[in-house]
Amino acid sequence: MASGNTQSPSARAVVEGFKNGLSRQTVLSLGACVHCGMCNDSCHYYLATGDPQMTPAAKTDKVRKLYKRHVDWLGRVAPAWVGGATLRTDEDLQALQDVVYGSCTMCRRCTLSCPFGVDTALIMRTARGLLTAQGFAPEGVKVVSKDQWEIGNQMGVSKEDYLETLDWLQDELRGDVGDPEAMIPIDKEGAHVLFLVNPREIKYAPMSLLAAAKIFYAAGEDWTMPSVGWDNTNFGLFSGDNKLGAHMGKLAYDQARKLGIGKVVISECGHGFRATKWEAPNWAKEDLPFPMESFLETMVEYVNTGRLTLDPTANPRPVTYHDPCNLARSAGITEEPRFLLKRSCLDFREMTPNRQENFCCTGGGGAMSMSEYAQRRLQVARVKADQIRATGAESVATACHNCIDGLSDLIKHYELKVPVRNVCEYVADALVLPAPAIARDALIPTGLRGKRVLVIDDDPDTVVYLTTLFEDQGLDTVSAHNAAEGMTAARTAQPDLITLDISMPGRSGADVFAKLRSDEVLARIPVVIVTGAIDFRELMYRRNVPPPDGYVAKPIDPELLLMTLRKVLEVRHREGVGSGEGAAV
Amino acid sequence: MPIEVSRFTEVLMDQAQLVALAIMAAVYLLKIRWILNHAAASERTPARGDHGKAIRYSYATLAMPWELPSTRRHWFHYLEFAFFHIAVAVAILVTFVMPYWPRLLSGRDMVDLLQIVFAVGLLAAASRLTRRIGTPAMRAVSSPDDYFSLLMLGTWFAAAILAAPQASEPALIAFFGLTAFFLVYVPFSKISHYIYWPFIRYYTGKHFGHRGVYPAKSVPRHA
Ligand code: SF4
Ligand code: SF4
Repeated sequence: MASGNTQSPSARAVVEGFKNGLSRQTVLSLGACVHCGMCNDSCHYYLATGDPQMTPAAKTDKVRKLYKRHVDWLGRVAPAWVGGATLRTDEDLQALQDVVYGSCTMCRRCTLSCPFGVDTALIMRTARGLLTAQGFAPEGVKVVSKDQWEIGNQMGVSKEDYLETLDWLQDELRGDVGDPEAMIPIDKEGAHVLFLVNPREIKYAPMSLLAAAKIFYAAGEDWTMPSVGWDNTNFGLFSGDNKLGAHMGKLAYDQARKLGIGKVVISECGHGFRATKWEAPNWAKEDLPFPMESFLETMVEYVNTGRLTLDPTANPRPVTYHDPCNLARSAGITEEPRFLLKRSCLDFREMTPNRQENFCCTGGGGAMSMSEYAQRRLQVARVKADQIRATGAESVATACHNCIDGLSDLIKHYELKVPVRNVCEYVADALVLPAPAIARDALIPTGLRGKRVLVIDDDPDTVVYLTTLFEDQGLDTVSAHNAAEGMTAARTAQPDLITLDISMPGRSGADVFAKLRSDEVLARIPVVIVTGAIDFRELMYRRNVPPPDGYVAKPIDPELLLMTLRKVLEVRHREGVGSGEGAAV
Repeated sequence: MPIEVSRFTEVLMDQAQLVALAIMAAVYLLKIRWILNHAAASERTPARGDHGKAIRYSYATLAMPWELPSTRRHWFHYLEFAFFHIAVAVAILVTFVMPYWPRLLSGRDMVDLLQIVFAVGLLAAASRLTRRIGTPAMRAVSSPDDYFSLLMLGTWFAAAILAAPQASEPALIAFFGLTAFFLVYVPFSKISHYIYWPFIRYYTGKHFGHRGVYPAKSVPRHA
């Protein structure tokens, strides 16, 4: 806090850091803007709201005023004349945080529209870094960054959970391809490919990793996953913390060096690819002896060299592609996904505009972890929703887990009713593989039979649907229709797993979740969130209590829900009795 | 025919301009040195694209309005930009030619041409000022320097229209007086953006070229 002419210590630190730490590119982006307004309608925040404070120049001016006040020659003498001002109080810092974190996804769409090339994202990231260093960052960003520093991945997945999940996925792979020798190798020295993933694939969305494993299997690839340094995501990119950025990069690079692999392949994650391949070597000041590529590029090579055969009739419904900003505008990857989708789907439709000019999914820049700004995110997502609707596609492909989350939320909010999946999932569906030699049931144990699931949902139709689905799989079910009933049933029925709708009236579902997690006895019961609302992300990222074990969006995809249940129950079952080495080494 | 002018006006058109020009050049050199004193961020990973091609492309976007999404959409603003800046360039040229070779500019056709160019520049300035004042999104980002620079350039074009026939000493005083003022003021104001432009386009081209984003893909973006 500060008053009059005094400046709070945090504000002073931000201003001093700003004056002394600008790169040449940042100085140019701060100095060159002529307020011409040519970039205004490139920004989804401005397009959706019409709010004059949401244009790229208005937002960057909240940072630029510091440049004008403290760096610009005329501004140092006559700040008001050129729009210069300083930061004095912690409230000023909070207001700046709301702009640089809450109203820009650092998508760089405006940069490609600017006649100068003013890099808005660079300005925003510079300010984010200074604010974050003073503790001014959204809660979710802080939590995730801490987990990356301390545990080495953004979702706080323990090494045991990670290895058990891979072990379980290896069984799923064997079941799917009917081959008891199919493997997900871990720490295999000298492998040709080291595959890095997004923790979302381990924790909540294993379908894309299973699809990737199938593709590697079909291509006969000599691949491996690392037991540490496997997280390709990097919150240093979002928080402006170059040290965290370097730390995450080094975790992966050190493992790649140690294993002596041929190349690093980064799963479909826009910012993960950008950070690992392009940014982290700069932050870590490392020249790397191995090449790095996106899994999209790897798959294209497999198709071009005849290692994969694809049958597009496997995906007959119309599909469109959303270009992740970090791939299209910051990594030059636009044609590879199209190449793959055109060979995996019968009816591929372009979104307009597309490639470098595509609109952001609205989940970029770490926005998915910032529940403070979720309502604004959904409001500005109208632009993207209109874009998707106009294609008439019945599903959306993208190459980024962040985009999947961002798009899933807006699809729910704007009632578009189209699923979103990674490109590799479409490719895996279209793989032409020999018929399985051994039936799935003979290869993998079904971990569901005899387990008890408590279904808590206020919608009677959903309860009937879920209990029927589960009972068909040999599960016992118990149901509850509100928060109070749910808590009682959790105590009395002693379920092995709870599916919980958190969007019951009055946020009672979220309260139930918090109570379950805080109860000494009930906290051990895994909880899968089944919801039509988006506020469950707060549970994933803010983590006032341990996050849910899984989540599935409504309308429910039964296959995905059962896979999530299998993962949660079977991985848990293995803990303590599994190999302890994860999948095949 | 150019008129005879007073000693004051002669000095204003010649020595005063040279002094102002020297001040401008000195400030610009300092500014360039200041820019270069900031360390440039560089890339350590091997390039995906071609730096040289991308940098050339980056500069060439100035003359390729179809390449930037903004100028493709707002072609009128692009034309306005083009006429405005052509008028500025011609006016600057005139300030060099008129004091030393006045007869080169004295033909009727030449005077007409110059006046048309300056009038178009004046219209562009007026249109830009109107938009800056009248559009909430533009107002929200405009500082006094933004308004003043446009207003002064508009006034300069008006003075240039009157000065072009070289028939009015007050018009010549206004035109060259404003020119001297601009030469000193510009390096400190937003108008100095053209010092930044070659640098920022270079780094934009280099960065996006390194990542394989520039030159923009030659595929139809609205296919
Ligand atoms: S960022 Fe570029 S396009 Fe946007 S107002 Fe500034 S100069 Fe104009
Ligand atoms: S980077 Fe993207 S979100 Fe940020 S101002 Fe530019 S267009 Fe808008």
